[in-house]
Amino acid sequence: MSETSAETKHPAHLHHHFVDSDQQFESSKMGMWIFLVTEILFFGGLFAAYIVYRAWYPELYLEASQELDAFWGAINTFVLIGSSLTVAMAIRSAQLNQIRGLIINLWITIGLACTFMVIKYFEYAEKLEKGIAPGIYYTYDGLEHEKANIFFSIYYMMTGLHGLHVIIGIGLMLWLVWKAKRGAYHSEYYTPVEITGLYWHLVDVIWIFLFPLLYLID
Amino acid sequence: MLFFLTFLTVAVTWIHIPEPWNVVVAIAIAVVKATIVVAFFMNLWWDSRFNTILLVMSIVFFMILIGITLLDTLFRVDPIPTF
Repeated sequence: MSETSAETKHPAHLHHHFVDSDQQFESSKMGMWIFLVTEILFFGGLFAAYIVYRAWYPELYLEASQELDAFWGAINTFVLIGSSLTVAMAIRSAQLNQIRGLIINLWITIGLACTFMVIKYFEYAEKLEKGIAPGIYYTYDGLEHEKANIFFSIYYMMTGLHGLHVIIGIGLMLWLVWKAKRGAYHSEYYTPVEITGLYWHLVDVIWIFLFPLLYLID
Repeated sequence: MLFFLTFLTVAVTWIHIPEPWNVVVAIAIAVVKATIVVAFFMNLWWDSRFNTILLVMSIVFFMILIGITLLDTLFRVDPIPTF
């Protein structure tokens, strides 16, 4: 691009304070990574609570995690890893200017995210049915440990916050589909797809840690 | 390649369930899975080095958070609070 024609060739998606599309893209991505750092530390507080209580009551964690069904936890791990793959494929489609592929992959991802939440709903419903509720609402008497409610408070807090992130991710991807159908994205400009993908992968990474720490203690 | 990596992470999930050395192995496998996701799905492998530094710093500060917290909670004379 020559100096003189720079003004006229200015693409619609490029904000005037960036040198070019690449710089704008890299800046957005770095901003998203800084947000992801705050997310890691946000969940980090809950992981710290998990570790402190596990150090205090190791036998409670062994006993209480038996109540969680590792089978459904594993299914949800597959679902989320699969949805990470479809998000990566959506970004690939955008890079190759295949807008139909982008929309299809986003819909598959939304479907998998909804599958995750439906499984999560049945897990919660089954526990609440038995009186396994967080904190002072805990009324289940199937566990001998007197502090059994602590494990489930931590469980509901961590999986609940993670589930909230999944719901926000579904909303973001519905918005991406809506924008993509209006032709907002092409191989030169797909920044929102890329950074939503980064967010979605982080949600996947957090679940990768939550699953063994909560479900697979035996 | 991404299909293969997904298969790998999935296979790894199944192998470690009967493992008696549960915490260390579970965390190690989770770290490997997370590293694969971060490096390839999140493109850090090819990306600007600065973004990797950001991620590593978040992990460092998370370790500091846990380390200092445990220095307190592990060494209390009367460790167990009422809640």
